[in-house]
Amino acid sequence: METKLQVRDLRISFRTTNGKVQAVRGIDFDLNKGETLAIVGESGSGKSVTSKAILGIQAANAITESGEIIYDGKDLLKISEEDFHKIRGDKIAMIFQDPMSSLNPIVKIGRQLTEAMLLKGKARQRESKLNFNTYLKSLNTAMVAALAENDKAKAEKLTAMCKNFDKFEFKHIELESAYNTAHEAAVETLEDIQDLTFQLEKNSTKDFTDRLGDIVTQAKATVNEYVVKKDAQRIKPLADSIRDLWSKAKKTRDYQALLQALYQLRDILQEAVAQPVPNFFRMGYYITFSGKPLPDMPVEELNAYLKEYLDKEFMLEFMDNARAALRYTAEKSYANMELAVKAMEQALPVFAKETLDKKACQETYKTLDAAVKATIDPLNIVKDSLTYTFSPSLKSELDIYFKAIRANEKAVKVYEQDKKKHDRLVARGKNPDWEVAAAAVTDLELVKSNIAHLLQRQMEHYQELLQSRNDRDYNAQALAAIDYLMTNASGVVAKVTRRIAKSRAIKLMDEVGIAEPHKRYNQYPFEFSGGMRQRIVIAIALAANPDILICDEPTTALDVTIQSQILELINKLKAERQLSVIFITHDLGVVANMADRVAVMYAGKIVEYGTAEDLFYHAAHPYTWALLSSMPDLDTNEKLEAIPGTPPNMIYPPVGDAFAPRNKYAMQIDFERQPPMFQISDTHFAATWLLHPDAPKIDPPKVIQDRIARMESKRRTGNAE
Amino acid sequence: MQNNQETLLKVEHLCQYFKMEGGELKAVDDVSFDIKKGEVFGLVGESGCGKTTTGRSIIKLYNITSGNVIFKGIRIAAGKRSYQEAIKKAQEDYKAAVKANPTDAEKLKAEMEKTVAEQKAQMKAAISDQKNCDKEYARQQVAAVKKKYEALLEKADASEKAKLNAEYKNELRKARNTKLVTQIQMIFQDPIASLDPRMTVREIIAEGLVIQGEKDNAVIDQKVHEMLELVGLVREHASRYPHEFSGGQRQRIGVARSVIMNPDLIIADEPVSALDVSVQAQVINLLNELRQKFGLTILFIAHDLSVVKYFSDRIGVMYFGKMVELATSDELFAHPLHPYTKSLLSAIPLPDPIYEKQRQRITYNPLVEHDYSVDKPSFREITPGHFVQCNDAEFARYQQELK
Repeated sequence: METKLQVRDLRISFRTTNGKVQAVRGIDFDLNKGETLAIVGESGSGKSVTSKAILGIQAANAITESGEIIYDGKDLLKISEEDFHKIRGDKIAMIFQDPMSSLNPIVKIGRQLTEAMLLKGKARQRESKLNFNTYLKSLNTAMVAALAENDKAKAEKLTAMCKNFDKFEFKHIELESAYNTAHEAAVETLEDIQDLTFQLEKNSTKDFTDRLGDIVTQAKATVNEYVVKKDAQRIKPLADSIRDLWSKAKKTRDYQALLQALYQLRDILQEAVAQPVPNFFRMGYYITFSGKPLPDMPVEELNAYLKEYLDKEFMLEFMDNARAALRYTAEKSYANMELAVKAMEQALPVFAKETLDKKACQETYKTLDAAVKATIDPLNIVKDSLTYTFSPSLKSELDIYFKAIRANEKAVKVYEQDKKKHDRLVARGKNPDWEVAAAAVTDLELVKSNIAHLLQRQMEHYQELLQSRNDRDYNAQALAAIDYLMTNASGVVAKVTRRIAKSRAIKLMDEVGIAEPHKRYNQYPFEFSGGMRQRIVIAIALAANPDILICDEPTTALDVTIQSQILELINKLKAERQLSVIFITHDLGVVANMADRVAVMYAGKIVEYGTAEDLFYHAAHPYTWALLSSMPDLDTNEKLEAIPGTPPNMIYPPVGDAFAPRNKYAMQIDFERQPPMFQISDTHFAATWLLHPDAPKIDPPKVIQDRIARMESKRRTGNAE
Repeated sequence: MQNNQETLLKVEHLCQYFKMEGGELKAVDDVSFDIKKGEVFGLVGESGCGKTTTGRSIIKLYNITSGNVIFKGIRIAAGKRSYQEAIKKAQEDYKAAVKANPTDAEKLKAEMEKTVAEQKAQMKAAISDQKNCDKEYARQQVAAVKKKYEALLEKADASEKAKLNAEYKNELRKARNTKLVTQIQMIFQDPIASLDPRMTVREIIAEGLVIQGEKDNAVIDQKVHEMLELVGLVREHASRYPHEFSGGQRQRIGVARSVIMNPDLIIADEPVSALDVSVQAQVINLLNELRQKFGLTILFIAHDLSVVKYFSDRIGVMYFGKMVELATSDELFAHPLHPYTKSLLSAIPLPDPIYEKQRQRITYNPLVEHDYSVDKPSFREITPGHFVQCNDAEFARYQQELK
């Protein structure tokens, strides 16, 4: 499974007037494509801080002490604000807890919904174009290098081939763009007509004037070679007649004529929408190079005919070349990897010295940077995150080290002065009401070990890649490469106009369960109730079609039916768009519904981590037990077991297990040493000393055992029915 | 069913309409229920269905449009819309009847005038009750205090008299200021928004007492400390400000503030919705303890059905301003009848991943489920204590279903 997001050893603290609050203390997790990871915990456990770090919106007093958040070949903790603009909202979107704080109070809902679509639409077009051009260019260079090193004529031929690809792609874009506009208009109009006829049959004519106007303009936009062709002559007068029919019907209150016209329009469009989609990519080639008009045949036959033509004339050869090019760059990259590993082995002692030498370090950094960059295969579509983030990570660690040398001296000096002052006051018999703050010293050894770890990990990564070099399927890769070029070319086409954005927004509002979206579209946020506002926020987050969706307690303020609808909606979108979701909540019922995997957080650490089944049926950490037993279900009658006490003050994090003071199963060692992560099964981990082989065997509380037994028996009877 | 228990609150045909652009919004439409002494009555429904409005109408935060709210046998709120409509209808009927039968005009007119006069008298009574129910109650209280102290004063000797007199005056003032509605207290959803950030905890909790006329600081302190300890906080917290507390502690302050008035009925409007699970359990346990200790009656408004089920004796389900089903909580969850209740129950998430992944939500669309074009629905009792909003055909079907 493809890993979308990796979080490694993330530590975040907040500077406050009372001291440093350690909100997140070293957490690790992965998020796979199309999976939901739920993060559960009490407020103040660091769940929201983690999610905000992923989105790069931390408070000004936050300090990222260490860690990596790797997404799409970038470390999100180290990229610039400018780069983050391209990711935030577009690739990673977030639904916040409080809907009012994420809406602009003085802008109408419709504007807010379409804003992202319009802006991102343009940005996506630009990005697709850039991707297309750079990839084709590198493919061209690689082809030339692989097949025609000294053969100038051949090289020219290859370049011409790539240029041709570019040319007919352009034609393809033109055709597909026209088709898309018309097709989308047809689909929208069809939906609108269905809505309106339904309303008319029920004798209601709410906002008809506006909506019929929409239909008329949209219906006219459906005329296209491959959408409405046969009835192109009919559709315009029909659409025009609708306005007249409506103004007549309004007076007489007899809607039959209008209904008939709408039905006719519907039939035409239904037929148009049901037609198969022609392959514009192949069509583009035919039109550009054959010099003949397209043969007149049904779309399916045409598609097959064009495929044959394209394969014979161009595609097979191009594929062969592409395969050669891919093999060439891959081999080169493997050779460079071996060199890079050697370079790293040599670099290790430089970074292992007692005190690092700045000049030597910088030189080593330069050689390593070059060596690692050389291993990047430009034709590999799936970006190798570790390699991409290696140089920036190394650089930032080195920067931290050399800055800290000076800063540490200063901090120690300040500490000594304060201490002297304090001692003087104490010596005079006074009792000062302040304490000496500990010196804010960066641990240089930790930085050094981080660097060593970075190199080690990269070397291991290269070894792994080198071992699997023979398993590589260049044929599949070549297909993927052409697919990539085609998708990006289509991306250039996907133009978002104001009209399309509006109809999409209205559809989205309908999807998230807002009644009368046409009317609501022009209202301000304050006109919505809390639940409705939250739905708007969800619609906005989904409008940009993100890769990763972070939901920070999105349904806490909603009632069950709506909560259920929203969860279903998120699940549906997740399945449709292969969305990865991080779901933050404290409602375990919701977790059971949504999550594939669950991470339980307490006091800035993940205390238990596993699949939903692991967590709910085989929970191992006392904190998870406490959470599970403090919530009532439909059969609970006994007193609820509330968790006693409050979470610890994270300015002075506890030495041992943070949960120990509230834990009735706590042992002596829980107060003295932090438990490591014990592995229970392949997917299930928990950090509690109870799992140590020497620990006494303790069963989960009776409430939970009873509930599991009850649920099981219920399921069995339920299935038998 | 606890039939033999005394009814504490009776809500009859409560309607609460709000004026809106282009008509009226029927936030609560013809809702009737009663709450027995010592029970917890749960009110569930989706947001905007009128649960909160019902709660607020009972405590007289709104002037109700129509219907009666009867608390401890005294009508504390009454609307006049129903009487107005009755008058209008009588007049229209009269006009129609005269047209059909011009000869009986005299007799019909007399009849009409009689009904109008009756309705007008009732309306007047309603308005006066709405305005003066507190005065009536205060008068009773004053009389009780007078009786008690006059007897004491007669017996007392000169030295005690001065002290007793002062006490008498104090009590009298308090009795005059007493409002019946203070016997109903409210706990709000958002513990942050419902506490004044500029008041200390002592001021917040004692505010009700002070308004009632308590001036003795020692008494106030003693009561506040008692309350703080009761809800699981400590005395020292009295001098702090709300922002120094965590969410659960703040909600405890809200509970203390309402319990200090020694109410008979507490309206808890989503008191745990904004809290973490662990804290939620603390607050529910606290409410349960208080309920056992003081025999409190609670109107519990919430949307978390697992919590409502756990906490309530009887549950009323509301949908778009109407009560659609009312039954004891076990009965409601075991045999839901109304399709909306069924849809609501099918949406509850449970901590069981395998079940959850298979759970199918039942959708409710009133247009599809009911045909009320001819046969109008009303609120009927299917089995003892189990009421459903239904028409004749559905009534028969539901009865069949329960057999």
